[in-house]
Amino acid sequence: MLEIAEPVASWQDVAVRYPYHQATAVGPVSMAIRPGERLLLLGPSGSGKSTLLQTLTGLIPQSILADVVGAVRLFGQEASARAPAQWASHVAQLFQNPEQMLCGMTVADEVAFALENQGLAASEIQRRVAAALDRVGFPHDQRDRRTMTLSGGEKQLVALAAMLAQNAPLLVIDEPTAHLAPAAASRLRSLLLASRQAARSALIVDHRLDGMLGMIDRVVAIGADGTMIDGGAPREFFRRCHATLVSNGIWVPLAVAVDAALIAAGIRLAKAPLTMSEAIATLAALNDGRRTLSLEVARSLAARQLATAQASGTDNDIIAALSGVHCAPLFGPVTLRDVSLVLRRGETLAILGRNGAGKTTLGATLAGLLRPRRGRRSGPMGSICFQNPESQFLTGSVREELTAPPVDRHLAEWGLAGLGDRHPFELSQGQKRRLALATVTAGRDPPLLVLDEPTAGLDAAGKSLLSRRIERLAGQGSAIALITHDLDFALGVCRRAVVVGEGRVLADGPIAALMRDHALLARADLEEPPVLALLRWLESCRC
Amino acid sequence: MLSRLHPLPKLVLCSLWLAASMLIFDAAFQLLTIGIVAASLILLERRSPLLVLALMVPFALFGFGFLTTSVLFRQESDFALRMAERAPFGGAAFSAGLVLFLRAIACGMISALFVLTTDPGALIKAMMVSWRLSPRIGYSLFSALHLTRDLASEAHEMRLARAMRRGRPPRRIPGPMETISLVVPLLAFAIRRASRMAIAMEARGLGALGHRTVAGAPEIHLRDLLFTAAAATMLAAAIYGALFSNTLLKIVSTCLK
Repeated sequence: MLEIAEPVASWQDVAVRYPYHQATAVGPVSMAIRPGERLLLLGPSGSGKSTLLQTLTGLIPQSILADVVGAVRLFGQEASARAPAQWASHVAQLFQNPEQMLCGMTVADEVAFALENQGLAASEIQRRVAAALDRVGFPHDQRDRRTMTLSGGEKQLVALAAMLAQNAPLLVIDEPTAHLAPAAASRLRSLLLASRQAARSALIVDHRLDGMLGMIDRVVAIGADGTMIDGGAPREFFRRCHATLVSNGIWVPLAVAVDAALIAAGIRLAKAPLTMSEAIATLAALNDGRRTLSLEVARSLAARQLATAQASGTDNDIIAALSGVHCAPLFGPVTLRDVSLVLRRGETLAILGRNGAGKTTLGATLAGLLRPRRGRRSGPMGSICFQNPESQFLTGSVREELTAPPVDRHLAEWGLAGLGDRHPFELSQGQKRRLALATVTAGRDPPLLVLDEPTAGLDAAGKSLLSRRIERLAGQGSAIALITHDLDFALGVCRRAVVVGEGRVLADGPIAALMRDHALLARADLEEPPVLALLRWLESCRC
Repeated sequence: MLSRLHPLPKLVLCSLWLAASMLIFDAAFQLLTIGIVAASLILLERRSPLLVLALMVPFALFGFGFLTTSVLFRQESDFALRMAERAPFGGAAFSAGLVLFLRAIACGMISALFVLTTDPGALIKAMMVSWRLSPRIGYSLFSALHLTRDLASEAHEMRLARAMRRGRPPRRIPGPMETISLVVPLLAFAIRRASRMAIAMEARGLGALGHRTVAGAPEIHLRDLLFTAAAATMLAAAIYGALFSNTLLKIVSTCLK
């Protein structure tokens, strides 16, 4: 007889409502995590995923006030049986925003903090700190830097190292790779999920699913209203729920989209693919009759993923230009030297590179918000959508943040209807991102707009809206610089890219060509996006 | 070099020197204190002399208030005037004001020396290990010490966000109205940061056990003993010099009256 182990964590009819709010933030939800299981929790922005995670160790309601109904159990006990701090030896948590997790110490102290709280020997702490930082690939010479001086991606690496160092039997991970360069994100996913340890379970929330699904045992999705949609093993789940996920604004991997498009065309693959390599292998194995149709379907889908905007002419007006510029953050050292580039009217430029390469500094310099240490910048001052959306908010309500009328229409467009009277800081991370994007794009046509990691924490619906808004602004003549690690998104909206690294601009040219340069990708910690892998295979099929 | 010293002996010595500076109403003592601090920063810490001069500016402005009060409102400065009975710098009022002026700079520079040469993390760790400071209070202090640095970059981002809304670049140095308008948002930022840090520390197990390890706390070395001996000797010599000029006796007798 099959023995069913007791879950390490479970929610039974759990619903959470914050004070002074009429609607529940999430729930009712019932789900469980079994020992050694890796569970992926999906849901659109604002569906209450992070809230649900915080009920697990009792942070909600013991530290963050809220009404919680239902039962939350952890390792066979009621979660409320212990104080949240006392669960730290069993549950290692990674919050969605790394700034909410780090306490402002040096990198090494930050990683050691949870271990010190457990009373481990100093030598053991030192060993675990060094091992955790090595595992995430954080450089040795940066370990005495204060975390507040790190880039967004570097903060995320430190937060991950701190979580790994705890060596807890349950990992609760909220968007671990949102700010990471693609290659770093892949390494981290492997680190977190690939090694099968029977004793270690993981609950993970993420919007970037490519490359992860092969390591997931089960998926649970919650809808925009905070209630459960469905759950199951990834292969069957995505095939069964594809339409529901898309209609709820939940992102699905490209391989799953290919499978759904093939089913719509009357081709049902024997095994639903989860990764692009699986999809390509399955398509390659099809017989001639179905193969021609399937290639057409795949080609059409891939074409839709690439930038459709017209490339701006090389004779268009120059909106902003940097000439021999040394870029440095405020109070910080020079990160990029001798940068020369121009941005023309109607052009959308992707700024790509590894974490800490200086992309944000370059974006702020391009926008005229940071003065170059050397060299010359020309052009009007641009607008910037900060990497941390909270930096964008200046007023006491969502409605007041949007100055251009009609405010209600802008709120509805950005999926923020009904939230107009809320304080911006009360929103979920995804909703904050939408509001920050709305403040710089709604009803405004800035000549120059810099978007810094605009898709971090954003669901599929938000990305789709952002993509349309970028196209519209570019069509009206705005020059847009997009700093991102989301290469699929960059390919969808940009024709040109600059890749930064090693303290300078490594390459500047058409994005599709740069993304096929594997040597460049390796130098900049980037990876070929799945859509280009599919296109490459489709092109090879023509021959 | 001073940055490598154990924070606690440095804290004790700086506190003693501050106390002496407050109590000893002697221009020479205050000048000597300022000179020693400036020389330490320039020679031992390799700080630029211009930076050291710039550091004195806010304390000098503060001290200038004492000087003008002393000269223009003599009745308000009765105690100081009696202290400066034998006026070495012209009139008694001016002498008294000058000593108060120098005292403000001396006290400010002692504080600046400590802040510039001490890592807040090392200080808190040392206090937790040696003085049994509660980790909760220790990390609260630590957060407060770091917050002052982070407020500057937060203020900068706020200014950028406002500039974008206005559609024109921010001024290089914020004006008085802009500075005032930043106070409440920065206060809100500080409160938000504090509550988030508290939650983050709780989630990572702060206070879960009765005891906790403090990894990487500073240890006492020979250099700390040498520094303590040298600084204490200098302080004693300076106090002796002040006593020799009878100033301290005047303080005691005035207090006894």
